[in-house]
Amino acid sequence: MLRHVIIAAGLLLAPVAVMAQDLTGTWVRDGARSDVIPDSMYYTVRGVVTGGTRGPSTNHMIEISQDSATMQVTDPTRPLRVYPLDGRPHTVPADTGIVDATITASVQGAAVVVKRSQTYSGLPGSATLATTEYWTLAPDGNSLVLTTIRETPARRFTYNEVYNRRAASTSAR
Amino acid sequence: MKDFSRRDLFARGAAAGFAAGAMAMPGGAAFAMPGPSAGPAGATAQPRGPGLPSVWGEDFLYQWSPPEDLVRDLTPGKSRIRLSGQTTPRFSNAEGTDYAAYFSKLKAGGWSAVESASNTWLSRGKMPESEIREIKQAAAANDVVFYGLHCAGNIIAPDPDADRWQRHMIDSIAAAEEMGCELILTHAGSMYANRNWAHPKNWSREAWERSVNALKRICRDTAGSKVKIAIEAVNTESINNPWAHVRLREDVGDPRITVGLDITNMVFPHVAFRMSEFINTTFDLLEDQIAYVHGKDFVWNEMLPGMNWAMQGTGNMDYEMFLVRLSRLKSNPYMLIEFLNEPEEYAMAQRNVRAIAQGVGVTIHGTQG
Repeated sequence: MLRHVIIAAGLLLAPVAVMAQDLTGTWVRDGARSDVIPDSMYYTVRGVVTGGTRGPSTNHMIEISQDSATMQVTDPTRPLRVYPLDGRPHTVPADTGIVDATITASVQGAAVVVKRSQTYSGLPGSATLATTEYWTLAPDGNSLVLTTIRETPARRFTYNEVYNRRAASTSAR
Repeated sequence: MKDFSRRDLFARGAAAGFAAGAMAMPGGAAFAMPGPSAGPAGATAQPRGPGLPSVWGEDFLYQWSPPEDLVRDLTPGKSRIRLSGQTTPRFSNAEGTDYAAYFSKLKAGGWSAVESASNTWLSRGKMPESEIREIKQAAAANDVVFYGLHCAGNIIAPDPDADRWQRHMIDSIAAAEEMGCELILTHAGSMYANRNWAHPKNWSREAWERSVNALKRICRDTAGSKVKIAIEAVNTESINNPWAHVRLREDVGDPRITVGLDITNMVFPHVAFRMSEFINTTFDLLEDQIAYVHGKDFVWNEMLPGMNWAMQGTGNMDYEMFLVRLSRLKSNPYMLIEFLNEPEEYAMAQRNVRAIAQGVGVTIHGTQG
């Protein structure tokens, strides 16, 4: 019996044993290797292209700070994100501060998976937007792949972005 | 003559606004500009004006952010909404149209109502009785309601075009009557030939009287008809708020003057982030004067107060509130999904609207294939 309990416990702990690698670092978006992504804030129609589109020349930097409990993402295009990696849903204010969002983050295998649900506009009464992000480190530790699934009743949209680790700067002489 | 400071203006305007009740001018007297009729003191007893109630900081801020304690009553009513879409090809009476196939395709796509553009419809001239019967039978067989003609033109255009467009409305009413439609849709108009251009005098007494007189003439020349004359608000015209809708009906003095409600066409910065309140206020004011509605969405993503059209259900519109209030109308409303390009976009918009409706317990007629 004890043996079965130990095996079961081992299976439960298995995901922890293959915990995602530490994504901590400064990362530069590789526009050439990333999908072109429509503005994630606005879904305009009738040919209007808004400023938030990420094309091949979008090479902005993000910073990730990760420990066993949280992952923090600093992205200049959106407010600071702090994800508790406990697999439990947390209610946080949407970026508008008007409605709430629900986030659930966890380490699943080699990926950090972040799920977020809120109204599309961050205002009351619009369609639900469910986003799932998969943050995965390449084996060499120098590339980070972010796969994002954005889902509304209208459509499901998946895209990939690649980030390259920024080398630590040498101190000036 | 005494010059009042801005603070004085506010204090006086606030006092007047308090006396007038909660529906004060947006931002109190911060918006109240003394006009020629305001008397020598300029700011005395500003009349109550259109707009949402103040939130805070009314002596120095525009009231553009929503109140933090906003509570929405999302209790649905029993009316069923029929969706109509500006999908292509648009419905028309072009010779050779296979009406049975057209209505069957509408039904399969989840569209249970349809309208047609007046210009195309009237260009056909007198239609054979057999074809009129065919259209009615095809619509009924597919449970689609052909409810109206969406009219082109500008009833207060510079003369002599105003008369031509007024006669166009009169002819459209006759055609709508013939087809068993419930309404035509038209506008208050612009002092420019193109009514989508904002003429500086569109909010003048002269423009208002031209609109009222034009509509009186249209009502008079179609007296006895049951076809409603639904007016669509547009920001470039005098009818760009629900209070103006109410007043237009009073001044024309005919119950056939109703509302082709387009909430997004009335959006300006004051209400852009207060759509839940604006929708509620609009329905409170207009209620069953609403003949049908347009379903669009918008975002504000420009430096100037520049709004852009957005996919339905992704922008600032509070579709939950909108759909709930529609479902509380006494008659089953028609909602036109419009201002998209591709057929797939219309399908996506419909999926969003149906999902939001389902979430708040509002029934949309038919099913989307």
